[in-house]
Amino acid sequence: MEYKDYYSLLGVEKTATQEDIKRSYRKLARKYHPDLNKGADAEAKFKEIGEANEVLSDPEKRAAYDQLGDAHQPGQDFQSPPNWDAGFEFSGSPSRGRSEEEAYSEFFEGLFGQAYQQQRADRARARFNAKGQDHHAKVLINLEDSFTGAKQTIVLKVPELTPDGHLVVRERKLEVSIPKGVKQGQLIRLKGQGAPGLGDGGAGDLYLEIALNPHPLYRTDGVDLYLDLPVKPWEAALGGRVKVPTPGGVVDVKVPAGSKQGSKLRLKGRGLPAKPSGDMYVELQIALPPADSTRAKELYESMARDLDFDPREKLIREIQSREQDHSNA
Amino acid sequence: MTGEVLTDDPKLTLDDLCETCGVSEVTIRAYVAEGVIEVNGDDAGRWRFSEITLVRVQKAYRLQRDLRLNAAGAALALELMSQIEALNDQLERLKRIRE
Repeated sequence: MEYKDYYSLLGVEKTATQEDIKRSYRKLARKYHPDLNKGADAEAKFKEIGEANEVLSDPEKRAAYDQLGDAHQPGQDFQSPPNWDAGFEFSGSPSRGRSEEEAYSEFFEGLFGQAYQQQRADRARARFNAKGQDHHAKVLINLEDSFTGAKQTIVLKVPELTPDGHLVVRERKLEVSIPKGVKQGQLIRLKGQGAPGLGDGGAGDLYLEIALNPHPLYRTDGVDLYLDLPVKPWEAALGGRVKVPTPGGVVDVKVPAGSKQGSKLRLKGRGLPAKPSGDMYVELQIALPPADSTRAKELYESMARDLDFDPREKLIREIQSREQDHSNA
Repeated sequence: MTGEVLTDDPKLTLDDLCETCGVSEVTIRAYVAEGVIEVNGDDAGRWRFSEITLVRVQKAYRLQRDLRLNAAGAALALELMSQIEALNDQLERLKRIRE
């Protein structure tokens, strides 16, 4: 097993007081709590500092750990010396909040595991009944899956305790139906698919949180969809019919004459399926044709000559009136 | 395997909620008092909760247990977390528009 430097995990010196250790642990626990920190290794880190705290915050365990000496490096292969814990009395029970299915490191189990295995065995004999823990997992789906409904295979890593008290991580594959119309952040509950209960307690539930992969075209807001649609300047100015992609297929949409950059069109019921179905909002983005030919240049030049159009008129007026105010003051 | 999508219909009783989340009635009462979860009905006997609250209760409880918060602290943490989530969504959206 690998040696763990519990002091450096908590960022404290070997000479730290119990107060220092507590403070440092609390700070790190807030930083790495998996509900607060969405980083991929936050959960592992949170467990690691929890374990370090478990040992260092308990004077008995800390003293036992300290006498392992300075000779070890983190990550180094480590064997606990025979009878290393002779003369130390451990009165602690597994820490609050850490349920039995949660894994301690092999290092911790090697040092402090025995006492706990005994307790586990005692407890098993006592026919303790409790509902199993609920599990949580995130499922990434594509927008199209929500539009049509889909089946998705998810792989869960489940720590399990073997009858002789060893911890193994099993992979569990589940094929789950994704119902039509699920939204970002929505939760699906699979009853009895969480951790097994103790004794006669039923299994916990598995909660799946839906997360939508970003779509190259559409943004979602609940059941509504948003699409940026490039249009030609004359389609916006004169109006016209344009083809618009929706998850249900391409539809024909009328652009009203006099549409502006950023104007929104609503396609009722073209969002995600629901009761009532969401809408799709099409935001017009006016695209400029390039002046890359003689003819195109001529057209731009004739517009420049013939159109009385100054998009900056308002800006200039605004700045002039401010200058005026300033000199009056 | 088909799961059920959690809805916001208020259909869970106080007992249902305690049992599903594995927390005590005292905890739920504190969460109601702090506004961590929404409730339908006047007195506790007639309280009805939506299934969405299940997840909020569990999250609040984990925070409370692991970080030694009280109910008010857990309520504040949840509120700030949802604000951060909304801001992150907005940020992602704006980033993608700029690309």
